[in-house]
Amino acid sequence: MIVCVAVVGHQNNPLYIQSFTEADDALKLHHIVHCSLDVVDERVNNPKKSGPLLNETFLGLLYPTENYKVYGYLTNTKVKFILVTTDLDVKDADVRNFFRRFHAAYVDAVSNPFHVPGKKITSRTFAERVSTIVKAFGLSSAG
Amino acid sequence: MIGVGKIKQYSNVLDKPLSKGKQEVSLSAFSFLFSELVQYNQTQVDNIAELERRLEDAGYSVGARVLELLCHREKGNRRETRLLGILSFVHSTVWKVLFGKVADSLEKGTEHEDEYMISEKELLVNRFISIPKDMGTFNCGAFVAGIVRGVLDGAGFPAVVTAHFVPVEGQQRPRTTILIKFAEEVLRREARLG
Repeated sequence: MIVCVAVVGHQNNPLYIQSFTEADDALKLHHIVHCSLDVVDERVNNPKKSGPLLNETFLGLLYPTENYKVYGYLTNTKVKFILVTTDLDVKDADVRNFFRRFHAAYVDAVSNPFHVPGKKITSRTFAERVSTIVKAFGLSSAG
Repeated sequence: MIGVGKIKQYSNVLDKPLSKGKQEVSLSAFSFLFSELVQYNQTQVDNIAELERRLEDAGYSVGARVLELLCHREKGNRRETRLLGILSFVHSTVWKVLFGKVADSLEKGTEHEDEYMISEKELLVNRFISIPKDMGTFNCGAFVAGIVRGVLDGAGFPAVVTAHFVPVEGQQRPRTTILIKFAEEVLRREARLG
């Protein structure tokens, strides 16, 4: 079950944060996303020799907390996508697929000539597409 | 995505295959739009430097979006971190998507370490434009320079990009060169990466 998705700009400014459960505290989710940014920076600046290549976009599992897992994805323009989920047995391929579709929705939102890069994404279409992708993810991993 | 330089020209639009293919815009439609863009900006400014800056700003927003789009569509999972990598990306992929062919040449500047040049016999945007004598060295290729600057800036390689005319003997119209001058930090980072 995906709890929260976030898009963070290249100066670590939030561009889009959306949580998908009413139960959890929104502030706690914001905090988790914020902490995961540090992990992203650490992965990018100090690549482990055995880890992923320096220029790979999918960063994988960033860190597991008490009952959440956080996945990261870095685009070519240093824009980061953060995914917070409560599932315990998520397949890697599912997450990659999710990020690919999320990236497509993000590219479409940014191509809007009225969108100012660096400001929050205010497109309703983007919000709807993200909800659709999140719902599809929940169904595919459950089945 | 301009329909120029296609290998097989269809005399009848009904003969074109129905496959999805790449989106193409007709050259004349783009030329009209670009000429309107230049004319509109000309009424808003007083001098040439301002006009060039406005065209470049217009190109900058195009470049930023093109980078996002291409990275998602073509590049798969790779992110460019090296100077030569990003330059060859601009020189082939970006040019191919925008103008239908790769740029004519990519050279390294001889005087300074941080200068690179992409040259083109005839820039597509300049094809139907002739600059009046009293405008001096103004080049509508500033739009393309802005696109390149947007792509480089978005990828994390801040640079100053300008367009120049380079006269070539034996040719009536001068060749256009896009001059890219990278910022200090890019060279330092490149040296550190080895």
